[in-house]
Amino acid sequence: MPAKRALVMHPSDNVATAVEEIRAGDEVAIPLQGASLTLTSVEAIPFGFKIALQEFAAGATIVKYGETIGLAGQPIVKGALVHVHNLEGTRARGDLTRRVER
Amino acid sequence: MSFHGYVRPDGSVGTRNYVLVMPQGIIAKTICDFVPGTKTLITTDHGSGRTQRDRETIARVLIGLGRNPNVASVILHAASPGVGYPELRAERLADEIRAGGKRVEILDPAQDGGTYGAIVKGMQLARRMVYEASKLRREEVSDAHLCLGVKCGYSDTTSGIAGNPAVGYLFDKIVAAGGTAMFGETTEVIGAEQTLARRAVNPAVAQAILDAVALREELAKATGLDIRTVNPVPSNIKGGLSSLEEKSLGAIHKAGTAPIRGVLKYAERPVGKGLYFTDNWMGSLSIFAGYAAAGANLVLFQLGGGGVAGRTLLESCPSVVAPFLWATANPKTYAAATDSVDFYSGTVIEGTETPEEAGERFYRIVIDVASGTFTRSETVNYADPVEIYLQEPRF
Repeated sequence: MPAKRALVMHPSDNVATAVEEIRAGDEVAIPLQGASLTLTSVEAIPFGFKIALQEFAAGATIVKYGETIGLAGQPIVKGALVHVHNLEGTRARGDLTRRVER
Repeated sequence: MSFHGYVRPDGSVGTRNYVLVMPQGIIAKTICDFVPGTKTLITTDHGSGRTQRDRETIARVLIGLGRNPNVASVILHAASPGVGYPELRAERLADEIRAGGKRVEILDPAQDGGTYGAIVKGMQLARRMVYEASKLRREEVSDAHLCLGVKCGYSDTTSGIAGNPAVGYLFDKIVAAGGTAMFGETTEVIGAEQTLARRAVNPAVAQAILDAVALREELAKATGLDIRTVNPVPSNIKGGLSSLEEKSLGAIHKAGTAPIRGVLKYAERPVGKGLYFTDNWMGSLSIFAGYAAAGANLVLFQLGGGGVAGRTLLESCPSVVAPFLWATANPKTYAAATDSVDFYSGTVIEGTETPEEAGERFYRIVIDVASGTFTRSETVNYADPVEIYLQEPRF
């Protein structure tokens, strides 16, 4: 079966966006300049959702568009879904601000 | 390229040719129901009980809509709750609109036989004015007369991959042709402000971008809330966006790559041509009327839609006098609402079109619409009320 496609927006990204429905165990191919990175998904990645291209320790920076889109809220394995359950946005977070002030 | 538009006395060029009747209320609505070719502003924001700054914002909207190049002439009435404030007096609004060389008539129930008398007088005036407007012919003009405003909404990850980049390509073409393009949505710049600030034409503009974003972020933090319970909105999260930063970094792609010439207030008209950032709010009932008041002769909604199943009809958001165009890059959104979508760039994700090919196709669609082809939403007779972006407490 052909590999499923996911896209990176910038060479330094460490997550890719699925442009097909990816199931657990699917081979995923990410086109890069002149080459293609492949990995195996460990769970379902719906169309438009992000897959981890590397292992993340809790607190590690998650990069898309070559910029920080948040921190890993917990350890994330390579090939896992990256979304609101394990990615913490850091900007405009009133809840975090209050915690610091207490 | 060029388009065919209506040349106005101040040199601006309309893509449409309306008689505008304002402000809101039964007089304007009744006249517009009676006379085709007219437009009115439906809004609850009439200024009564509002601060001077908010009343100036309302005045900016009314004057700006009157001066919009898509408007041939204007009828104002003096029967709105806010009309007694100096900023909103009909004579003041009329004078500022007339400065652009347009015909402006005023209806005053106190002098024109009451409400009924003003309505009848207005019907007669409006009939004559649309008749006169209809004599004007479109002329071939340079693309430098295009003035666009954009919002992206119901964003999902297709927005950042292929939707907003197509708008960015379009904006770059229009700016390169000498035209004007406006983007905004300050909350959705949080996390991407440094990228935008680096594109400012000078340090003052860069600082204005950073200041606008800093103020918005401070206001967000002051709520004590996790911003993700507000924005990204639920449909964004359902569509795969995980943080405000991710949403912002995708959103700014609609601004293309041109230098940013200035930071505008809501409904503020740019002084020159080129690319402008507007310090506005993303609300779809608010933002397009603001762009129209700033002079946009065409507005775009770049739609994700991954998180909103079942929308088979996309009605327009209120832009009053500016034709409203829907664009999406999400194949599911396009399949669900094909006959509502003006431009589809999911082809870039599917690999059947390059970003440049999609952008060129978008540009040709915009030129067609500017020259008179209807947008899909112009084939639906529906207008939501405008929510004028007012930021101060009411009393």
